[in-house]
Amino acid sequence: MNIKHIWIVLKKEAKDIIRDRKTIITSIVVPMLLIPLLNILVGGSISRLNYDMTENVTVALSKESNTEEIRELVENQIFNEFSNITLLDVDDHIEAIEKSTVRVVMDFDKDYKVKLEEGKPFVISLMYDRSQTKSQGSLHIVWDAIESFNKKIVAQRIEALGLNLNLLQPVQVEEYNVADDEKTSGSMLSMFLPLLIVILLSAGGIAPAVDLVAGEKERNTLEPLLTTKIGRSSLLVGKYLTVTLFSLITVIATMTGVLVGFFINPGSLTMGADATITGFTVPPAALLMAIVISITLGMTFAGIQIALSTYAKSFKEAQTYLSFLMMAAMIPGYATMFMQANEIPQYMFVLPVLNALSAFKEILTFNINNTNLVLALCSSLVYVIIALYLAASMFKKERILFRT
Amino acid sequence: MIEIQNISKHFDKVVAVNKISLKVNNGEIFGLLGENGAGKTTTLRMLATMLKPTSGRAKLAGFDIIKDAEKVRGSIGILFGGETGLYDRLSCEENIAYFGQLNDMKTPEIKERIKVLSKAFGMDSYLKRRAGKLSKGMKQKVAFARSIIHNPDIMLFDEPTSGLDISSIRGVQEFIKNCKEEGKTIILSSHSMSEVEKLCDRVGIINKGSLVEYGTLEELKQKHSDEDLEEIFIKLVGGKNEH
Ligand SMILES: Nc1ncnc2c1ncn2[C@@H]1O[C@H](COP(=O)(O)OP(=O)(O)O)[C@@H](O)[C@H]1O
Ligand SMILES: [Mg+2]
Repeated sequence: MNIKHIWIVLKKEAKDIIRDRKTIITSIVVPMLLIPLLNILVGGSISRLNYDMTENVTVALSKESNTEEIRELVENQIFNEFSNITLLDVDDHIEAIEKSTVRVVMDFDKDYKVKLEEGKPFVISLMYDRSQTKSQGSLHIVWDAIESFNKKIVAQRIEALGLNLNLLQPVQVEEYNVADDEKTSGSMLSMFLPLLIVILLSAGGIAPAVDLVAGEKERNTLEPLLTTKIGRSSLLVGKYLTVTLFSLITVIATMTGVLVGFFINPGSLTMGADATITGFTVPPAALLMAIVISITLGMTFAGIQIALSTYAKSFKEAQTYLSFLMMAAMIPGYATMFMQANEIPQYMFVLPVLNALSAFKEILTFNINNTNLVLALCSSLVYVIIALYLAASMFKKERILFRT
Repeated sequence: MIEIQNISKHFDKVVAVNKISLKVNNGEIFGLLGENGAGKTTTLRMLATMLKPTSGRAKLAGFDIIKDAEKVRGSIGILFGGETGLYDRLSCEENIAYFGQLNDMKTPEIKERIKVLSKAFGMDSYLKRRAGKLSKGMKQKVAFARSIIHNPDIMLFDEPTSGLDISSIRGVQEFIKNCKEEGKTIILSSHSMSEVEKLCDRVGIINKGSLVEYGTLEELKQKHSDEDLEEIFIKLVGGKNEH
């Protein structure tokens, strides 16, 4: 192996890729914009939906119940503390629900007034449309309003009997969150960030890996190259490092996008879901560990990608193999998405891909266990060697390299 | 000089090259004539150290293809037929320089050599342009320049005119003649009798991996008492091969 030759190849391949607009778009521009765009599109619509459901509740009374008296009761006694609920007047209440002009329709018992005065229960029927997310979401709010009206009446009746209201509530519950803000943020991040990193590391190398071997074979540029003084192993390592470099560039581009999105709108990391992520700091040693593990995972993917690209009979075939590889890598990512860092069994820290996922989770939730991280790092290095060996053995096989 | 001794190459059960021995003298053009699948490419790939021979040995410019593979590659230039194999997104200059660098030439040396070659092939006007934007003829000249950037003593041509149009064929043949004038030792594989007759000092006929006959054109004609190389070829190869 010849360091100078490796460097020459790396420089040339990087230059070649950078000049390819298609690769630059798929491995840098798209990843960088992906998260901010998703946030704007998905996050924006989720939070709009949330807002609409909770802050913009429209209610109407059924035709039979639409009397001055009931309107007064509803507006002044049931909804009076719920400024987010508006009572509308509609002609056809069924149509109004179907057309979404109101979310919920209330129908009162005919003799509700007598029952209320006599202290007997009466019924308010709530009509809603289960097929409409907003109607369903608003139902609970109307329900809450009626519940609080219930409590008010109960309190009045208890007091009228000369009893203490506390009689009705022997136990009171209070909850405390022992995780600080950082830990809460970390656990949100630990759900999707490891998966994202694995996807990016496996996706970022696809275009270069396909181009650098299968593409080079298909365009007849590989054979002339092999007649120069460069040894086959130097050529392989040069190409391998280029692929690794571009997987990492893809991750860095995406993370830059995530960070920029986070600074513009801190809610962006959760896509508008009801959770807050405040800033948090990872200990430098753990951060370094995460970076090293990312690099080794990138190197492992690069090795396998080069091997598959060498094995493939054509450019197209290489693309297919590498897409499958990416999907295969996503499976453990999704499978462990909801796994808690402190519940990950130790053997997962030595399995391929799972080791990196588990290590990322530990680091992001500050559940750092040094033995586990060292296991993850060592096993990652072993996988790098295996992947590189695989690539080298493909590259050495005459029947495969010179297959026509 | 190229010396080949009993070289063979097996791909599993397929015997692609079967115990070929021959010697090509300095400054000579040796024509390797054979049909499709006869073993020409495999032979040249072994000489270029891309494939390891199953048995036998060969020396190019005094270097053994197994023990001194890197030095062998440093003393040969190769040109293949069909596509030129340039990198479309690199400029002509970058394409040529890449091969110079990989052949361990120093930057000033590469620059100087590109200047000379550019003048010789008339490439000045498009040297800085990306290879992907050039015409076929221009690309071909870049490929010529690239194959001799390191001024090799030996040139291997593997069916260099196959799949080319007439003017490109002319270009390649001119290039081969120039290489000879510069004193390079050359092996030219071909399935075209006329090309071999026109360019080569000596000819070897290869069939199913074996070298069935070789010598100067005169020697072959005398030995087989036939004036026509094609007739000799058909007689030796048997004419019943596919293609
Ligand atoms: N990489 C390879 N793997 C397996 N068989 C091969 C390979 N290269 C060539 N062959 C076989 O070796 C024989 C000679 O092929 P080749 O040297 O390409 O012939 P030519 O160049 O004269 O057309 C053919 O039968 C071919 O199928
Ligand atoms: Mg051939």
